[in-house]
Amino acid sequence: MLDTPIVHFDNVVKRFGSFTAVEKADFQIARGEFLAIMGSSGCGKTTTLRMLAGLEDPTEGSILLDGEQINGKPTWERDTPMVWQSLALFPFLTVQENVEFSLKMRKVPKAERRERARKWLDRLDILEFADRNISQLSGGQRQRVALARSLVTEPKILLLDEPLSALDAHLKVRMQSVLSSLQKDLGITFVYVTHSMSEAFSMADRVVIMSRGKIEQIGTPEEIYREPHNRFVADFLGSSNVFSGRLASDGSSVWTVKAEHAAFTVKAPAELQRAPGANVAFAVSSENMSLAPAGASCTGNCVEAVVVGGEFAGASATVFLETDQGQELKVQKGHDELKSVDIRAGQKLLVHWLPEHCHVLPGE
Amino acid sequence: MNTRPSLFSLTFSLPLLIWQLAFFLFPLAFLVALSFWTVRNFQMQPDFDTVNWIKIYSRGVFWDAYFRTLLMASASAVLISLLAFPASYAISFKLRDSVKRWMIFILIIPFFTSYLVRVYSLQVFLSDAGILNAFLGYLGLGPYPMLNNTFGTLAGYATLCLPLVILLQVFSLNFVNRDLVEAAHNMRCGRLQTVLEVIIPSAKAGLVIAALFAFILSFGDFVSPLYLGGGNPPTLSIMITDITKSGQQWPRAAVVALTMIATLLTVAFAAIKFAYREAGK
Repeated sequence: MLDTPIVHFDNVVKRFGSFTAVEKADFQIARGEFLAIMGSSGCGKTTTLRMLAGLEDPTEGSILLDGEQINGKPTWERDTPMVWQSLALFPFLTVQENVEFSLKMRKVPKAERRERARKWLDRLDILEFADRNISQLSGGQRQRVALARSLVTEPKILLLDEPLSALDAHLKVRMQSVLSSLQKDLGITFVYVTHSMSEAFSMADRVVIMSRGKIEQIGTPEEIYREPHNRFVADFLGSSNVFSGRLASDGSSVWTVKAEHAAFTVKAPAELQRAPGANVAFAVSSENMSLAPAGASCTGNCVEAVVVGGEFAGASATVFLETDQGQELKVQKGHDELKSVDIRAGQKLLVHWLPEHCHVLPGE
Repeated sequence: MNTRPSLFSLTFSLPLLIWQLAFFLFPLAFLVALSFWTVRNFQMQPDFDTVNWIKIYSRGVFWDAYFRTLLMASASAVLISLLAFPASYAISFKLRDSVKRWMIFILIIPFFTSYLVRVYSLQVFLSDAGILNAFLGYLGLGPYPMLNNTFGTLAGYATLCLPLVILLQVFSLNFVNRDLVEAAHNMRCGRLQTVLEVIIPSAKAGLVIAALFAFILSFGDFVSPLYLGGGNPPTLSIMITDITKSGQQWPRAAVVALTMIATLLTVAFAAIKFAYREAGK
């Protein structure tokens, strides 16, 4: 029983008229895991969550909760509490009454209701506001009320739809750690929808990346970061440079990839077969690229590019360059390593990296 | 903070202020003064005599009419609100936007014709040989007396207030945050229960104000109780005309009118206070 996934999306499709919001979503959510669904607005992440909550019905496929098919089951018959982006707290009830609401709907006796609500208010450090009106609370306090309201029934799964997007940056980071530790302490499954990579990658055990209704990649933050599946994911993460070309020769340890104006030596991926002449795309993390003055001797892979700008914030600097073919490159380096090169805009530099830092995108 | 109003804001608010002063506050002050005048030989004369107040307030007929009017207006506000709510709920929550716009237009149409005309046409429906009783007779029922009684009056009040109450309810329901409805559903609150536990409390202010409008319009209405209710026993507005017709007793009519205004103000303030009361401290 414990090994069965808590949620199984079995080829789920959702269409609104002729618009396909979610296309063949097929994945599982493990018991007790913190799963983030990430993507830009309109990618279908909220629709996916709403189908799990029972607020939308899938057009095709089935959703299993705890091994039971729940298609067509209205949301009030499911145990899938959700935290809304707008929080959806009831303004006509006090904090305490808000938290008691779902217990009241379950016909829990008044005294027990009160006690359980107070326990959660205490746990989330908002007991002192129990008798206040919602309008008198700050954003962070409201956030805690919404969490307490959803957790008071002690569900097995909690759905969160961009709950932190209304908070300012400082509070967001605080609430992230509150959420993380809460999830670890309770051991319940969190499904967290967000458009923010920092939220998803800092809290989640696994991340689902969606775009235009399709799931682009599912994996741990580390897997996704190190081994993006395709160009979309690599671009979305924004920390890699993607090159493409044709496979010229496939040696056992290295491949030669020929682009229009250059040839690259790429570490051969372990579990991927491509015929010579096939299209190949690979990503190189911007941290693994180095800069040298133009005309310097080349080791590994090199391209010449012109500096177009830079960002010098924090411990490292990011230099933006453009090749003669118009490809934009991003190189991230510590300040010390950049001392030896002239990174003024317009300067021509040599960008170089090693074959083992090339990650072939299996989805391209 | 500067508490003196600026010239700019005065320019826009002054006409309204002048209007209110000229056509509400001065007449009201005059009405108060008038209630202390006396009538001798069918002639009013300025005076300061409490005789009118004592005469009116010591009559059982007045208090009968007062409480009847109060009860009828309250019943009208409650019944019309209950009658209107399912329609308002359907318009606001269940209909497509294009249909919604048509429904709102249809609700505005009644205001195109005079209320008096609509009340007269209701007589054709409600009389003993009228359309409704003819239809019921066809089914082997009735005839039921629907005219010249409380039913007739309330039917008239509904003609007067129902479209307005539905419109006001629709506008307040449109402002109910749809997330709240979904959140309630998500917390095991079924459809009907959500209406009672979430939608009505969320729209409370608007719903109370819609009912208040029904109360105010019904409380002061003269047409329905006279032409559909038969005018006997009288409501306060019918009583006012009776008093003025019999022996030029304008000062006593002023006492009745002032009592009505005081009642309306009390009810309105109480209703608004109730409407905007917030949960918690």
